[in-house]
Amino acid sequence: MSRADRFERLIRWYPPTWRERYGVEFVALLEDTHGMNDVPWRERLVIAKSGSVERARSAGLLGDSTSPNERIRAGSLLILCAWAFFMLAGGIFAKFTEHWSAVTPTADRWIPSDGYGAVQWAGIVGVVVVLAAVVVVLPAFIRLVREKGWAGVKTPILRAALVVAATTAFTAGLVIWAHHLGAHDRNGGLLPYHLIVPLWVLSVAAALGFSTAAAVAVARRLDLSQRGLRALGGMAIALTLIMVVIMAGTLAWWGSVAAYAPGFLGNGALATSNVLPPAMIVAGILMLFGVATAATGAVRVARSIGNRVSQ
Amino acid sequence: MSKKTTQVGLRRPNDPPILILTSLADGPKHGHALAKDIEAFAGVVLGPGALYGAITRLEERGLIEALESDDRRRPYRITSGGRAALGEAVHDMRTLADVGAMRLGLGAMNRVRKVGLTTIGMAP
Repeated sequence: MSRADRFERLIRWYPPTWRERYGVEFVALLEDTHGMNDVPWRERLVIAKSGSVERARSAGLLGDSTSPNERIRAGSLLILCAWAFFMLAGGIFAKFTEHWSAVTPTADRWIPSDGYGAVQWAGIVGVVVVLAAVVVVLPAFIRLVREKGWAGVKTPILRAALVVAATTAFTAGLVIWAHHLGAHDRNGGLLPYHLIVPLWVLSVAAALGFSTAAAVAVARRLDLSQRGLRALGGMAIALTLIMVVIMAGTLAWWGSVAAYAPGFLGNGALATSNVLPPAMIVAGILMLFGVATAATGAVRVARSIGNRVSQ
Repeated sequence: MSKKTTQVGLRRPNDPPILILTSLADGPKHGHALAKDIEAFAGVVLGPGALYGAITRLEERGLIEALESDDRRRPYRITSGGRAALGEAVHDMRTLADVGAMRLGLGAMNRVRKVGLTTIGMAP
């Protein structure tokens, strides 16, 4: 690869609109600054950071260079990404908490029951909110496909459909196999089954990731009315509050089970202690990251709706 | 710093936007010439990433503008808005410097300014 090609590669960190405007002169500056030498790693990191910031700005996630409508859209999509983390964390939580009530003394069950119930109900309400958002954007999606054709959105949708289909087949196979196994084999007694479960979790994560990426890619192309965008923004803020409830419910369940039935938390095969099982730590980190991401998006949406109202 | 100055993104004296506006106040320059000039008068090395991050923001806010050029190295010049913003920032920095000099017992700010100008080779 020639040195000019290496300089050209560095500007790929920046969004296409930025490259179109500044790309040529930026490469000229790199040539003037570094000549025949390689660009130092420190400078590469600055360029990567600077390019990522420009991408976030052009997507409407940072700064005020895009319209309030675009900022509402960007904030809402950020919250959708956070929801994907919660779906994964929720799956881990649901698997880990199977049969928890059977091992918890009846008298000590009300706090974890309320926490568990809050997680379940908030999860259901969250799914309803996401489906309502799909209904809101559906007319715009049909319009997009009719006016601009299927080609613009085909790749991300087909990719996501393929991964979801593969994950569904994997899940069905795993469920059938699990039904032929005894409780001992399913709970760490059978090594192949024990090893395949993490692969299944990864495939579910991939399905969620590709589906969310497809949803984001399509939603960025949709021509939505101001009213539609405000409705989406409102739903996104509601979804953020739901995530906070889910996290609070999870913590309430975790804390109370740790206090009253710590033996249950230590049942996992990889457990390192009674109160901090790895599965719950992973779920907790995913939820924490999800809430932080969603809060960032919610602030963006709320401020942008406020700006629009004041204009 | 005044509210107006911070609104246009000018905060500290060694911020890339202030350094770029200060450099362009002397006449139009392209990226490499800007970086060299800033290194000479402020001792700050601005890499291409930091430099173009600031150029993008300044152009977006209308404080600088690109000039037509056949060369790949496009020159930029300061706009009237940029001059006004730089003037505000310089005024704020001067006020701060005057107060600091007075409290340190350095006497008249002229003396401090003379030392500063001598350092960058611009003393009359």
